[in-house]
This record gives sequence, C-alpha cells and structure tokens, in this order.
Amino acid sequence: MSAFAAYTIIGLSLGGIFALAALGIVLIYRVTGVLNFAHGAMGMFSTFVAWQVFYGYPHPGMPSWAVTAEAILAGLAFAVVLGLFLEFAVFRWVRNRPQVVKAVITIGVLLALQSAASLIWKNNQYHLPIYIAPQTSTFMLAGVPIGANYIVIVVAALGLAFGLAAFLQRTAFGRAMRAVSDNPTTAALWGVRVDAVGAVSWVLGSVIAAIAGILITPFINFDTTSLTLLVVDSLAAALIGGLVSLPLTVLGGFILGLLETYPTIWIQSLGLPRLIALLVILTVLIVRSPRGLPGVAK
Amino acid sequence: MWRFVIAIVAFAILARLPVGLDAGFQFDAALAVIWAFGILSLVLLTGYAGQVSLCQATFAGVGAYGAGMTVASLHGGYLLAIVVGVLFATVLGVLVGLPALRLHGITLAMVTLGIALVFDRYVFQDHLFDWFTGGAGGWQVSNASLLGISVDSSQHLLAAYDVLLALFCICAVLVVNLHNSGAGRRFRAIRDSELAASTMGVNLTRYKLLAFAMSAGMAGLGGSFYPLIAGSVSPQPFWVFTSLQLAAIGVLMGVRYVPAAALGGLFMAVVPDVLTRYGHGTFLNRAYEISFDWFQIAVGVLLVLQLILLPDGVWGDLRGHAARVRNTFRFKRAHEVTPA
Amino acid sequence: MTMLRLRDVGVRFGGLVALQDVSLDLNRGEILGLIGPNGAGKTTLFNCITGVVQPTQGSIYFEGRSVRMAPPHERARRGIARTFQNLQLWDTMTVTENLQVPMDAIGRRNTFSDALGLPFSSYAERSAKERARAILHVLELDGYGDRLAGDLPAGIQRRVEIGRALAMRPKLLLLDEPAAGLDAHETERLAGLLHTVRERFHVSMLLVDHDMSLVMRVCDFIYVLDFGKILASGDPADVRADPKVIAAYLGEATPELSDAEPTPQLVTGDRPEAAASRAEPGEILLEVDAIAAGYGHLEVIRNVSLNVRAGEVVACIGANGAGKTTTLRAISGVIHARSGRVRFDGRDITGTSPERIARMGLAHIPEGRGLFPRLSVEDTLRVATDATGNNAPLDVAYDVFPRLKQRRRQAVGTLSGGEQQMVAMARAILARPRLLMIDEMSQGLAPTIVRQLFRLIDVFREQGIAVLLVEQFVESALEVADRAYVFEHGSIAHEASAEELRRDRKLISSSYLGTEAQGDGVDIEVVTNGHANGNGNGHFPHPDLMEIVSMRMPPALKRALEERAEREGRTVAALALELLEEAKR
Repeated sequence: MSAFAAYTIIGLSLGGIFALAALGIVLIYRVTGVLNFAHGAMGMFSTFVAWQVFYGYPHPGMPSWAVTAEAILAGLAFAVVLGLFLEFAVFRWVRNRPQVVKAVITIGVLLALQSAASLIWKNNQYHLPIYIAPQTSTFMLAGVPIGANYIVIVVAALGLAFGLAAFLQRTAFGRAMRAVSDNPTTAALWGVRVDAVGAVSWVLGSVIAAIAGILITPFINFDTTSLTLLVVDSLAAALIGGLVSLPLTVLGGFILGLLETYPTIWIQSLGLPRLIALLVILTVLIVRSPRGLPGVAK
Repeated sequence: MWRFVIAIVAFAILARLPVGLDAGFQFDAALAVIWAFGILSLVLLTGYAGQVSLCQATFAGVGAYGAGMTVASLHGGYLLAIVVGVLFATVLGVLVGLPALRLHGITLAMVTLGIALVFDRYVFQDHLFDWFTGGAGGWQVSNASLLGISVDSSQHLLAAYDVLLALFCICAVLVVNLHNSGAGRRFRAIRDSELAASTMGVNLTRYKLLAFAMSAGMAGLGGSFYPLIAGSVSPQPFWVFTSLQLAAIGVLMGVRYVPAAALGGLFMAVVPDVLTRYGHGTFLNRAYEISFDWFQIAVGVLLVLQLILLPDGVWGDLRGHAARVRNTFRFKRAHEVTPA
Repeated sequence: MTMLRLRDVGVRFGGLVALQDVSLDLNRGEILGLIGPNGAGKTTLFNCITGVVQPTQGSIYFEGRSVRMAPPHERARRGIARTFQNLQLWDTMTVTENLQVPMDAIGRRNTFSDALGLPFSSYAERSAKERARAILHVLELDGYGDRLAGDLPAGIQRRVEIGRALAMRPKLLLLDEPAAGLDAHETERLAGLLHTVRERFHVSMLLVDHDMSLVMRVCDFIYVLDFGKILASGDPADVRADPKVIAAYLGEATPELSDAEPTPQLVTGDRPEAAASRAEPGEILLEVDAIAAGYGHLEVIRNVSLNVRAGEVVACIGANGAGKTTTLRAISGVIHARSGRVRFDGRDITGTSPERIARMGLAHIPEGRGLFPRLSVEDTLRVATDATGNNAPLDVAYDVFPRLKQRRRQAVGTLSGGEQQMVAMARAILARPRLLMIDEMSQGLAPTIVRQLFRLIDVFREQGIAVLLVEQFVESALEVADRAYVFEHGSIAHEASAEELRRDRKLISSSYLGTEAQGDGVDIEVVTNGHANGNGNGHFPHPDLMEIVSMRMPPALKRALEERAEREGRTVAALALELLEEAKR
C-alpha cells in the first residue's frame, strides 16, 4: 500500500508540473492563436539560466535559501525577457497568418533555443538538479513519509493555478485577456489593447514554463533535449482541457502525471510514459474531433 | 522530356563529386541523399497534399531498422532488406494516416510529433522491440552486400552513394511528374480546399492515405540504405530532432517544390560537417568552433525569418518572382482583360 | 421526373434548429430558386444535399435513390455539383487544373500510370484539357486556362467555379450565392449565362441568392425559407406579391406603440450643452469618401460615400449582400478599405487599427452583437469601462436595463437574444461614444424588445450620440432615423430623408424583391395541359425542356440545330419541337 501511495505522490507531483506547463500553453494559445511547440524549450532555457546562477557562480557567505531564490529570480527574469522578445520580434508580425504557420514558427524557435542551450551548456553532462526544499527533508502524511520537494511542487502548481485564475477573474487586465481569448476581433472593437494583451500572455506563459522547468529538475535526467520534449506531455494535458478550460487543463495535468507514473510500478521502461502521452493525445483528439477544437481553423 | 535530361545530367555531375574525397565526406554525401529522400517525402505529403507531418525521420528509421533486421536477423539479401524496409515504413505511413483523416493542421502536427517521440524513445529503444531493433547495440550489418557492393569493401560508400543517387533522381522525376498528373491535382485540391475536393468527387480517405503511404514509403526507401552505408543502425540519426529538422529545412527551402528536397538534403548532411571540420580556428585572438549546434540555431532562426518574410520558401518565392516577371510581360501583349 | 426530392428535412446543431420540416421538389430541367432572409438556413440545406451535413431527420432522394449513406464524393459521382458562397477554388492551381480535378475524379484515373507518364495517361490528359477548354469557351473564359485561380478577380472566379462544377457532368448544379460580390451589370450577365448553361449542358439548377433581380429573372419556381421553414413557394411573380414574403423581408409595419413597456430613461450626470434635436443636426462627424472594400478577392462594396452628423440617426437599408455590413466594418477598421478615405471627427482613420478607432469614440456593435460568450455580464460591462478608461459606475447601465442587474453573474453566451442585445447597448451607454454604429440590432428578436431598443436609440440621440444603423427591417429603422441610404449591389443606390422613403414604399421593396421589369426576363411559360402532372406541390415541369433534355443527339446534328436556332432568333427547344412536329407529320 505504501508503495502505491508513494507512486501516487510522484504521479501527482509530475502531474502538477504538466498542469503548470499546460496552463502556459493554453493561455498563449487562447490569447494569440499560437500553439507553442517551443514551450518546453523556453522553459528549458530559463531553467538553465537559473541553474547557471545556482551552480555556476560562487556565492560566498550567502545562505542556501538565498542562493536558491537568486537563481530562481534570474531564471524568471530571463523568462520575462524571452517572452517579450518573442512577442515583439516574432509573433506580432504574424498575427493574421493561419495557425499552422504560427505553429511551424514555434518549431523554428524550438530548434534555435535547443541548440543555443546545447551550445552554452553542453548536452552530455549530468546536471545537478535545483532543489527548492532540502533534498532529504520529508513530511509525514498519514504515516507515509513524503519528500518535501514533492509537496513543494504540488503546492506551487495549485498555487499558481489559483493565482492565475484570480488574476484572470478579478483584475482589469485579466478581464481584457479573457475578452481577447474569447474573441480577438470583438475585443479590438471594444477598444481593448490587443497588442499589450498578447505581450503579457507571452510573458506569463514563458514565466510559467520556467517555473515548471525549474520544479521538474529533481525528477528527470535533465538536459536540453529532455526538457524541450516535455512539451509533448504538456500538450496532452492541455488537450484534456480542450485547449479552453483552465480548470480542466490543471485536472488533465494531474491525471496525465498519474497515468504516466502508475505503469512504472509493473513495467520498467523509460519510453513507456511517452507512449501513454501519445495515446492520451490521440484519444482526446479522436473523441473530440467531430466538434473540433475551439479556434482551430479547418 | 526535359525532366529526364536534367535528372541524368544532375546525376552525372553529382555522382562524380565525392570521388577522391575522404570516407567521412563520402558518408556525408550518401547521408545527404538519404535525408533528401526524407524531404522529398515531405514535399509529397505536405507540399502537395497539405498534410503536416513531423515524423518523417521516423519513417526513415523504420525503413532502416526493417532493412537491418532482414539482413542481420533473418539473413536475407540486401535487395530483400530494402523491400522489407519500404514495406514496414509504408504500413506505418498508413497507420499514421488514419488519424489524419479526421485531423488537420496543428492537431495533426501534434499527433505526428507524438509519434516521432514514441518511436524515438520507446519503440527504437525498449526491449519489447528488440526483435525489430536488434537490442541495445542495434543491428550490425558488416556482411551485407548489394549488387556486388560489399559493406566491408573500401569502395562501398561511393558505390552505395551512386545507387542512392540514381534512385533519388528517379524518385524526384516521378514526384515532379506526379505534380501535374491527375493524382497530383487531387492531392493539391485536398491541400487548397478539402471541402471543395470532397464535393467535387475526390475520395478524401483514399487520397490522404495514399499520400501518407507514398510519403512514408519514400522516406523508408532512403532509410533502408542506412545500414548499407553506416554498417549498423541506431536510433540516434532518426530521433525527434531529425524529424523537426527535416520539416524545418523543407519549409525553409520551399516544401512545394522538388528541387527544394535536393537542396535541403545537401544542406542537412553536408553543411554541418563542413562547418565542423573547417569551422574552427582563431578570430581576433579567441578560439572559436562552429559545431552542429550553430547549424541548428541558424536553421531555426532562418525558418522563423523566412515564415515571416517569405511564406513560400526560398525556392518557392524565387519562382514566384520569376513567374510574376514573366506574367507582366505576357499581359502587355494580350488583349484587354475586363472583369466579368 | 422529379430529380431531387426532400421530405421533412430537419437539422439541429445542439439546441439550434437550423432547418425544420423542409420539403422540396426539383424537376429535371428546372432552375429552382431558394430565397429567404439571412440566417434562414439556405446554406445548411445545400450542405445537406451535398452530404457535408447530415440531416437529423427527413430524407433526401436524388433520382429516386436515397442519398443518406453516400459521402460527398459519392454524391458528386451521382451527379450533384455545387458552387460555394465564399468561393472554394483551388487557388494554387490553374483554371484548367481546377476543371480537370472533377473530371479525373469521376473518370477514375490511375495513379501509377500517371506517375510513370504512360501513353494512356497522356491521352486522358489531352482529352480532359479539350473538354475543359470547351467549357471555358461556353463561359466566355477563353484565355484564362493557364492563369492561377487565386490571381483572378472575383467575377471571373465565380464563373470558374461554375465551370468546375460543370466539368463533373452533373445532373444537378447547386449554386450558392453566385451573385455575391458582383455589381448590377455582372449580375445581369450571370443571369444570361445560367440560361446558356442550362441549355448547353442540360443541367438542372438549385439557386440560392439574395439578389432578387437574379432570382426573379432566372428561376422557374421559387421556395422561400424563413427561420428554417418553408414560408411560401410559387412562381416568381406570385412570390414577389405574397404578403407573407414581403413581411419576412421588410419587417412588419409597427402598430401603435403600446405603453406596456416603459420607455427606458437614461440617467446621466452630465448633459451635453447643446442637446441636438431632430431638426438641427450638428457638424459632420463621420465622413466616408468613395471607399471600396471586400474579403480576399471579393470586392463587396465600391464607391460608397456617406456621412453622419452629430446628433443624427442615419439608417443603411438594403437587401442582404448589398454591402451594408462590409461598409460598417471598413469604417471601424475590422477590414481595410482598399481605396477611399474614412474621416472621423476631422481625423483620417483609414487603415487605423480597430482598437484605436474605438478609443477615439467610434463604437461598433457588429452583426451578432459582438460579445464575449464566456464572460459574465458584469465582467463584460467592466471591459467596456476599462477600455474607455472612464470608470463609469455600472449602475448607469443597470438602471436602464434592470434585467441585466439580475443576471449580472451569468455568462453572456447563456442569455437570450434580447438580453444579449441589451448588454451590447449597455456597453454603448457606458462607453459614451460620439458615434455608435449598430449592425442588425433586431435580428432574431421579438417585436416588443425591438421596439424598446429603437426607443433607446432615440435616447442616444438626445444624449448627443450620433447613430448609424444598419437594418434589414426597414419599417422600424425608418421610424427612428432622420435619413437613410439605400444600398444595392455594393453601392449606394439612393439617399433620402426617412419621410421620403416612408412615402414611396416602392423604392425600397424593389430594392429587396426586384421589379416587374426584371421579372419579365423569364420567357418560359408554364404549360398546364394534361400530360404534365404536378408533383404534389402545385408546380409543373416545363415540357419543352423535358423533351429536349431527354433526347440524345449526335454532336454534329446538335450544332446544326444550334446554329439554325441562332440564325432564326429562337431557342433550340422551340426549334427542335417544331422539327419534331414536322417529322411526326
């Protein structure tokens, strides 16, 4: 029983990360119409920036929590810059192109980011993870010891999801974003500054991807390619939410995390989780396809 | 008619190119043709029929593994190996085409990306498929020979390159012919407006599956030569990023045009290696080294720039400009064309 | 004899009923017209016949066989072809190639033979190209064969689409708004072309269009669709005079205003200094100068000029497809005017982005109300106040529309049509624009609500907000407007004060339903002698056509007949019948 519980915790933590990344994808997609295949690559790059600050430079005299905080802030700052850059240098100019073209552009971004990262940080080293909480500390939940980092992840994922929801529901800018994601043409007619909304959505998406990337480092063999390719799992989670509903996306992330973790109890296979993600993608798309996805032009 | 002539001339020229170069370059040349097959398959599937696919390298990989399995595990001749490779790839193509019947554009891209990833990480690497992949080390085909070209011989790379090149030229001509043929027109109709195509009598199911099958088969044909030139098969050359690069370079060059395929293949295999060999030294007293990563950065950036500025690809837009220039001259001579 | 038979066809999309109990008969050799106000379900009906949409009930028979199981390409094989309202040509292919695809598809070409360039394939290619050339010749499109379909002007593209459909050797041709985007002259040519096509290719046609001059001139029999149901049917003259049809198009004349609904009062803090009254409009607020605009290759409006003064209410009326909505969109920046200028408040706003124009004080309530379905009422109204930055309290809007206050947390998409329109108007109240443009405010609404809304426009005028109104329902619009522009075929046909137009009803109804003179273009009489049986709904197939269409003639003989008919100035049908009569004797 406790093995099952342990796997559940791992699955939920992994799922929390998928949920976060998927939130970013859905946000960007709804507001700008871009299905961001480069989402994982963006998060990856920001994560490596954080990693660089954490492990790459000496921090004499600073307590470890401060170093962690500094690294995370550096990563997030980079994510903001990256998001702004992509909006103003790239996606602002292709606003009216078909969705496929915009998606292929993100593939170009993916390739560029991945090799740039590989160039800077080399792909064949083992990179030590960034731990938010000390690696060995645990909480006791119903008699089961749970690693603190897992708790951190689930809390962060839920917290960010709620925070994003609050931002979208309660603030003026959040309303403007929801308006644009509902119908960009109408929003323009109402005087909403669509450009500003687009920029903010890219920044938010980029920051959320960075957080997801930083949080996942203890879990996986983390190098430039594996983080980049997590976009596929995030897409699967986003699809469960239909690329529309944020709550369903979060739920989808957790479900996917569990689905990918449980089989490893019985089957030892590195590639199996990818197969599961693919099956989820296929199932959701085929089941929903008569109605199509919202805003997906035929 | 002209096409055959061009193809033969091109073959004659290109076949002589790698002679006298070292084995590394010869390998690159042969690999260039294999990737050219991959981009050619993309021209047919995406350029003609409008179906987005991010898993062409996977089809090539399946062809390579099928061929390797035939030679190393079933001890068949290489001719059989090629047939088996193409067959496996074609079957996979049809299977991938099935979801494509209901999906379009970005959703199809998602599915094909998922497939590329699954094959890369799972099918090509998991022990469940050892019968197909030859286990952790992949197949070793050191005792294979095709039409008298033995893999072990020192001349084998050149000979294999010649065969590959000849096949590619034939396939390229076939694909160009297809463009203006009935089936090609039906593919293009599906690309331009599926609704109109089905209403005008085109059987969408049949033609979409046909496009996928032909495309996968072609990629698999190229891939099935991989064991011959490399002596072994491993998942690395056929991983997700290769599929993404094929798509990127295909679009960059102009995915609707066959010559783009040839250019693209060259670009993919030869340029990085040239860069790695010669791209190092000192500049302003600092040592620099251009590696494959630089190449991929360039591809990514160029792709983004190209899609923003030249939507029809390098080749496509050059052709478009040329045609427009021709048209302005043509219509100065024609009678006044009044609307309605 | 009955080529196409629909019985009780119904289509639902979720909760929306698009078609209900539609029964229709089309005889061989006929041109059948299908008309109706916007949203009546005409394109849905086409989609049912071609197989793109499955009816939820009812049956469709083509040449006696049910088409239920047949996918679209199979129906094409059986002989059903169509053109599309929004032009679905294959843009990257030449005109000839566009025509070849249906020919190949029906003719079953062999892929491998094509790829290898075998002799059989090249023979088939050449004969296909010959046929294509012949079709293009009939359609007066010689010389266009090698042009890319995407590069051609819209009028030519329409004919290419017809040619493509004809290349399939269809028995039935469905034409979906073939006159959209054509001016009056082009439409006239199209009418002649359709008759020629029927004669030369022996196709029966089902025509949907908003352009009454085309429909009345070309069709033998007409069905009128409204709200998804058949409202009336008959020959063109009868339909034009049918009071039900006129009401459906022009709206009902409003009876005495009942005082059951209180007039909404706008309570505002600041009253503008000069409350403009009906008699004295202020200076010119909006000036539109000879703009042309359209979508893709379609040029929908050309040379449109109008103006709106401060404090005025101006109406744009005219049939569907005449260009009213496109004009509003070109003004508010949703689409770009291709030529001409738009000036608002003295500033040139041509080509400016819609959000900037909205912030300048030009608000546009588009067709379909322009709302955010997933946002709540309250959030929607806040977006309006956020965007204009004036932070007006929402109570201003709630006082006018108390019902909205009750529903303020509800998602706008779940509200009724009337409530949604209230939200749209509430936005205008809160945003306080200088000029408000409203497109089809009364669409789908009950008359009492419509009355209330029109009264609100009066109040806007009192507040100094100028209003530019697009309305299909003329009566109500003329009650509240000072002036009106009548749109026809993408330009403005006349401009007059509301009173003038109310006096001279004919000006308007001719614009909507065509005139007597145009109807006379149809020179086919309905023969009601014994041998032709009506098929249940009272219309009779034309025997002349029936006879000719079912005859097989060697091409040389046919050509001789055509030449002789041309020389003698008669139709082939009449000539052939006469010769037959002679031969009988």
